[in-house]
Amino acid sequence: MKYAYYISCINESMTKELDQSLFLWNSQLGIELVRLDEGTCCGGSNTDFVHPNVNLVNNARNIALAEKLGLDLVTSCNTCLLGILHVKHEIDSDPKKKELVNHYLKKQGLEYKGTSAVKHLLWVLNEDYGLDKLKAKVKKPLTGIKFASFYGCHILRPSHLMKGGDNPNAPRSLDMLVEALGGETVEYASNNKCCGFHTLLVAPEESFNVAGKALVEAVEKDADYIVTPCPLCHMSLDAYQGDSMAAMGKDASIPVLHLSQVVGMALGLSEKELGLGKHVVTTRSA
Amino acid sequence: MSYDIVIVGAGGGGMYAALEAVRRNPALKIAVITKVYPTRSHTSAAQGGVNAALANTDKSDTVDLHIFDTVKGSDYLADQDSAAYLCEQAPILIRELENLGAPFSRLADGSIAQRPFGGASKYRCCYCADKTGLTILQTLYEQCLRYGIQFFNEYFLLSLEQEDGVAKGVIALDIRTSKIRKFEGKTVILATGGYGKMYWHRSSNAAGLTGDGGAACLRAGMALKDMEFVQFHPTGLRKSGLLVTEGARGEGGYLINNKGERFMSRYAPEKMELGPRDLVSRSVETEIREGRGFDSTAGQYIHLDLRHLGADLIKSRLPQIRELCIQFEGVDPINEPIPIRPTAHYSMGGIDCNTACETSVKGVYAVGEGACVSVHGANRLGGNSLLEILVFGKRAGMEAADLASKLPAAKISDQRLKDQEEHIAGFYGKNQAERYDVIRTELGTSLADNAGIYRSKELGEKGLSEILALRERFKKVKVADHSKTFNTNLMQVLELGNMLDLAVCVAKGAAAREESRGSHSRIDFPVRDDQNWHKHSIFHMNAEGEVSLSFKPVTMGKFELQERKY
Amino acid sequence: MEDKREITFNVLCFNPEVDEKAYFKSYDVVLEKGITVLRALNYIKDHVDPSLTLRFFCQAGICGSCAIRINGVSKLACTTQVWEELEVSKSKDTITVEPLRNFEVMRDLVVNIDPMVEKLKKYKSWVIPATKDADLGKKECTVMPEEFEPINPATDCILCAACYSECTINEGSNQQFISPLVMLRAYRMNKDTRDTVGEERLKVLVEDHGIWDCTHCYRCVQSCVKNIPIMDAIQGLREETFARGMTNSEGARHALAFKDDTMKLGRLNEFTLPLRTLGMFGAVGQIPFAIKMGLKGRVPPLLPHKISTRKQVQTMLEEVERDSKKSH
Repeated sequence: MKYAYYISCINESMTKELDQSLFLWNSQLGIELVRLDEGTCCGGSNTDFVHPNVNLVNNARNIALAEKLGLDLVTSCNTCLLGILHVKHEIDSDPKKKELVNHYLKKQGLEYKGTSAVKHLLWVLNEDYGLDKLKAKVKKPLTGIKFASFYGCHILRPSHLMKGGDNPNAPRSLDMLVEALGGETVEYASNNKCCGFHTLLVAPEESFNVAGKALVEAVEKDADYIVTPCPLCHMSLDAYQGDSMAAMGKDASIPVLHLSQVVGMALGLSEKELGLGKHVVTTRSA
Repeated sequence: MSYDIVIVGAGGGGMYAALEAVRRNPALKIAVITKVYPTRSHTSAAQGGVNAALANTDKSDTVDLHIFDTVKGSDYLADQDSAAYLCEQAPILIRELENLGAPFSRLADGSIAQRPFGGASKYRCCYCADKTGLTILQTLYEQCLRYGIQFFNEYFLLSLEQEDGVAKGVIALDIRTSKIRKFEGKTVILATGGYGKMYWHRSSNAAGLTGDGGAACLRAGMALKDMEFVQFHPTGLRKSGLLVTEGARGEGGYLINNKGERFMSRYAPEKMELGPRDLVSRSVETEIREGRGFDSTAGQYIHLDLRHLGADLIKSRLPQIRELCIQFEGVDPINEPIPIRPTAHYSMGGIDCNTACETSVKGVYAVGEGACVSVHGANRLGGNSLLEILVFGKRAGMEAADLASKLPAAKISDQRLKDQEEHIAGFYGKNQAERYDVIRTELGTSLADNAGIYRSKELGEKGLSEILALRERFKKVKVADHSKTFNTNLMQVLELGNMLDLAVCVAKGAAAREESRGSHSRIDFPVRDDQNWHKHSIFHMNAEGEVSLSFKPVTMGKFELQERKY
Repeated sequence: MEDKREITFNVLCFNPEVDEKAYFKSYDVVLEKGITVLRALNYIKDHVDPSLTLRFFCQAGICGSCAIRINGVSKLACTTQVWEELEVSKSKDTITVEPLRNFEVMRDLVVNIDPMVEKLKKYKSWVIPATKDADLGKKECTVMPEEFEPINPATDCILCAACYSECTINEGSNQQFISPLVMLRAYRMNKDTRDTVGEERLKVLVEDHGIWDCTHCYRCVQSCVKNIPIMDAIQGLREETFARGMTNSEGARHALAFKDDTMKLGRLNEFTLPLRTLGMFGAVGQIPFAIKMGLKGRVPPLLPHKISTRKQVQTMLEEVERDSKKSH
């Protein structure tokens, strides 16, 4: 199994531990990831309205880089997923847009054909790899550990773009993965809610309120960890956890793990290898 | 509070009246009271469009042709002065609404697009996809917000107040608190909607189309007109009554009875399912009455079968019908036949008024489906109902604004409030034991059986006596919910009371009119009888609740009586 | 015979006259296939509990009265089939029904939607036409089909408030936020060629609690009962702020930074992002956070990542920008 791995800006800076752990176990599973080093920022859910055409051509180029390798594109960030999927959908459903992007890409020796799928790491593990196969690879089952899955918005909505098979109102894919790794999952209503990341700078109070509600709920449901497939959700839930808890009038804490770290845990990697110490919140308290 | 104009109802008619009045005289104090938020009004359900001889699509269309189509469609029971006003004003009103932002579908040159519609001789119907009523309603609401119109949302009309033939205002119940309050008004515009919901489970109407304005007029001693004329559609969904449009039969759908027969071969061997609407309605009804229908909790029905058309055709040509069946009936027409039966969907009769929307009480105006001007006569033309609320909504606003500035402030005595309080307290009495939902269902069934698609002297009289008996039982009806907050139980009982009073008129008219005209179809008198029945029915109710019937001539104009053929 | 099942409806009830807080009432009813949640609730009201309080009107999915939360999701009761709902919910025979979120509950499933109407007024959700009052009705305005097309989806909106109930920031701001349906309508008005106050409207839209506070969670899009692409409208309004040069806001600066970095570096410069979004003064507030992160070794690189082909990318995207300007 071989994929073109799209590098998310945040995984190069604030959440380096995500890719760090991923690249420690991917070959164990026989998943080959070819880094798209020349990929550009997806626009972070922003460039599309600042300049729709720049956004279109920019992300068409990202997909074309994967197509040139003859590989599907995989990302481990929800917002990158949606940004790139959105552009793919636009181009695939409008021949004029395809013509437009190729007009520019040709000059770079690239072409958008529409041959590469755009996927999230979670989908790759669940569907392409398969949970039974993954289960067989587990070295240190996560027995007795309770996880609250926090899916994040841009892997669920808008659901017509998403190929992960999740019901956006009652997602299961991440829970199923955790269960395959031997962990327990807790049910809580906030699992498909928003983390508030995209308004952390412009409307911080609002963001803290929504993240806080999810955090408190996970604590109340007695989860040991929150696990999320998105580094932006991770930022909001981990790095700003103090602010969010304060907004709820609580001083509880709950560590938040990346999807790649949870898989790494079950495959026997150490806390240090996983970079768990890099997180702002490292202890669970009620 | 005392107002210049009190408008009851915030659908298209009520809101257009408010807008016109405030624009004519911004100093007027106007109150719009409505039992639902304005954008919930039933205007939103009108899908097809609104007629106006703009001659955009077909340059040969004229206002005169529109008048003729309307008069002919009405089976010559429309008043021709009113029909002429309706059609002359139509292009102005559509352009005005368009100027204010209504989103009409467009032709390639940027002008308002028009499409053909039943009973129209030209492409005349302006539309916005299949959401014409919705977008018109929203546009009017937006403009009312712009002009700061004062809405009293979720107030229920209890009575129309008049003294010596002069308007005094209305009394209404605040649904949120159950408080009863006066809205004193020099003028009152009743834009309260139709009464088709009295057929209850046999009606496509919104739950609130209970003829509240008409009932208030009746109790205030005023006249209703042509109440027996109610339009039916042959293929309503069994449970909700929602219409499965002609498209389903147009594409080749079969009507099948419980013997598996395409029974239309007996009634219209050549046209089969594509026979005229009233014939198809009567045929379906006959099959059910003669025991060839299917049984269900929701009553007897017939199958409209599309399965032989195949999934591809259904998906590509009838997607909206398919969605309707899935959402409201839980039936996917690709796999199952659609359960249908005829359903009531428009009431032509209403509060007796003239072209200026004036009633017999000075300062009281009526507009819309709850009014009878009359422009629809015995049968409404598709695309004329939205037009009616616009044209006469504007006219009522104009008339009320002009009159209000000449009249002194109105006053309603406190005694009248007390009367209403006592009336409502009565429903909570110890001896109240009848269930509202039972009476309501029986009312719907009796109307559908006796004053529905099939009518006769015998049926009409049977219906009338059944409805009078229900009205007796209603005196013992019980409001079980004693809360003062948002008491919808009380509201439903009040609505039922209104429907019962109007149902007496419908049944009485159905029994009396010994001819078949437009939607009124008598098996014992199958043809139109202009000699004896070319006249409006007029209904009054006395203090004892007895309804009397009299008649009034039809206003003629340039179009002579002739047989109605299409 | 018809398929029937016994189904439990758990309805969140609250009557402010007697209840201190909302509580669930359970109703067990036997229902046949093909019934909607609205019909089921009305069956309960007619036969089991006349005090059960809900709004409904058209029963045809067009008036928007009966929006409630069914198994946690805001939607219309009249278009939701009971059996289908059972299929997607985890329980085989139970349906949970609650009032919409982000509104004050008046009783049981009835909420007070007046604050929504107030927002429609605040943001001038109406066309102020170019046609003078005296000239109304005289002449049609020309609206080309391609001018009509952008406003067409927004005119499907029935104000059912499902999106209002689901909106993340509406909840996070204690309902101070403009909310999705108001933005949808603002977009529809601003795109209408007959309207004259686009700029004035936009000035209010970019104020606090306006369009820049949307967090792109797509909950509104997901819950819209008419499948309106509401996010396109929100993004469309933001796009318009750039077209009108109204870039002096935190939201606009934040968004611009993404485009600028993509074009010049290929990657985002997270180090200077707060400074560029919030300005010198605002960014001071981020210093304690930066220190906290620094202690964990989580700092964005001072010199941001640059991709090696950045010059080519820049040339290409600048050309896109130039060409778009030309065609405008």
